[in-house]
Amino acid sequence: MAFSKLNLLWLAIAAMVLIALPQVVKSSFAVDIFIRILLFSFIGVAWNLMGGYAKQLSLGHAAYFGLGAYTSTILQVNYGISPWIGMVAGGVVAMLASLPIGWLCFRLRGPYFTIATIATAQVLMLIFLKFRDFAWGAEGTTIPNLGSAPLMMQFEGKAAYYYVVLGLLAIGLVITSVIEKSWMGYYLVAIGEDEDAAEAIGVNAPKIKRDIYMISAFLTALAGTFYTQYIYFIDPATAFSFSISIEAALVSIVGGIGTLWGPVIGTVLLETTSALLQSWLGGSVGGIQLTVYSLILMAVILWRPTGLIGVAREAYQRYIRRQPARA
Amino acid sequence: MVETLAQAVINGLLIGGIYALVSIGVTLIFGVVKIVNFAQGEFVMIGMYISFFLANQFGIDPLVSLLVSMPVLFVIGVLIQHFLIRRVLGPNDMPQIFLTFALSLLLLNLSLMFFTANYRTVHTSYSDEAFHIGGLYIPVAKLIAFVVAMALSGALWLFLRTTDLGKAMRAASQNRDVAMLMGINPNRVFCVALGVALALAGAAGSLLMPFYSAYPFVGQTFVLMAFVAVVLGTLGNVIGALVASLMMGVAESLGIQFVGADSGLLVVFAMLLLTLAFKPNGLGGGRAR
Repeated sequence: MAFSKLNLLWLAIAAMVLIALPQVVKSSFAVDIFIRILLFSFIGVAWNLMGGYAKQLSLGHAAYFGLGAYTSTILQVNYGISPWIGMVAGGVVAMLASLPIGWLCFRLRGPYFTIATIATAQVLMLIFLKFRDFAWGAEGTTIPNLGSAPLMMQFEGKAAYYYVVLGLLAIGLVITSVIEKSWMGYYLVAIGEDEDAAEAIGVNAPKIKRDIYMISAFLTALAGTFYTQYIYFIDPATAFSFSISIEAALVSIVGGIGTLWGPVIGTVLLETTSALLQSWLGGSVGGIQLTVYSLILMAVILWRPTGLIGVAREAYQRYIRRQPARA
Repeated sequence: MVETLAQAVINGLLIGGIYALVSIGVTLIFGVVKIVNFAQGEFVMIGMYISFFLANQFGIDPLVSLLVSMPVLFVIGVLIQHFLIRRVLGPNDMPQIFLTFALSLLLLNLSLMFFTANYRTVHTSYSDEAFHIGGLYIPVAKLIAFVVAMALSGALWLFLRTTDLGKAMRAASQNRDVAMLMGINPNRVFCVALGVALALAGAAGSLLMPFYSAYPFVGQTFVLMAFVAVVLGTLGNVIGALVASLMMGVAESLGIQFVGADSGLLVVFAMLLLTLAFKPNGLGGGRAR
């Protein structure tokens, strides 16, 4: 019992630090990096629900990011509907889209599932590029800037955006920890370990995979709406960018696949590395960020497939064992 | 109308030969080593850059530099199997998928850093020449590429049928455990499979160079094509991959001719998704993995 109280204490301290952070750090550059870290942690958490626990390794989550972004933007620009409503609408659209996409992709397993998910995200990007009257085509559109309009998810200063995305991450983590401890969490892990064996003992794998894909898609779409509101711009190349699909998977794997905090820890490492690289090199060398990311990913896969969380756990175990037993 | 159609089919078949080299490599690695190589397209890119630099620095014809790009990529393949892939073979999908995916990202972004995103082309004496046969137009460079690609595919088929090593590879692809019991050294067979597959990708790169531009992202189109062809042609089946690649080339070419110039990729993806929906085990039927 004392252990879980200790955990709660740490969580409360972490929450207070995170809430105080933008009040203490005033540099807009730094807050921008914090927002990126929180945003990609959230996308990673959404990916990890399906990719981490059930090991359905999608590289097409940009599909839902883009659908969320486009739904809220179309509702806002064409119909004047608040992005707060649009955000939920985008989540629902993504959830519905995940049904046919899942129907197609779940026919395949392993690497071919991954390839199929890449293809679905690319097809959506091509559709939004090609059909111009549908949603502005390749040139995209800017979001009308209303100044300070909290009801339209537009704020002065970056601190407010920080709190919005912090809230999203908190929601994602709560959902993950609830699922992790429920029967669904155990089913997901069973499917991830061995799908045939899980089905043999009575897990309805197709239904569980469908449900978790819907949840994962819903959350990813919320991130899409937030990102578009934050940068005031949308086009198919950014909304359905392959690099979003990549980063969602990467942060989870580097941090610790199938763990609650893995995506957060992975994002902190990768985004900090990326920010440091940019400040050293002035962002002039194309390709350096993904070069470093891919080296980190290879190192993790070859030496520590359990990710940074796994490394930390091993170190903690060694520390515990070294402690002399108390009388 | 008939002529346009025939021309589109010919264009598709000619480029389909290149797709075949890439897909045969993917399907060979999948069949023998049981992994999907996401980086296959990047090895096509490396083959192109090798030919580009040899042509640019020493004036060597891309068709001659085939003799450089193929052995170089064979060695790279053996090294990648021995030092990287060997370490992740096992029942777990995640490390296998993301190791070759990380390799693909790494090679793509390294070439972006060192060669920049500029398009590089090589102009040969036959780059602009073409045969005209009854109103049909057949570019010499593409015809040479197609013929060499078919010859290489045929040579691989003979290698797999007639040599001991080739038979060992086929045995390993049919049942790895039994093959090991029969005294086949799996790592040696896997190294050869990776080497041969990458050499084919390198050959595709060199053959493309007289009529195609080299740039860091060039491999992505080819690898996507190859993935579709490999699913269509049933995973692990070399002949299936060859036939499916030629079909893909024709389908893409018809799409460009009759739907619009920018729809080539859309046609490819549509074919992939239709394949998954209706023929997930490939056109030949066969067993899903």
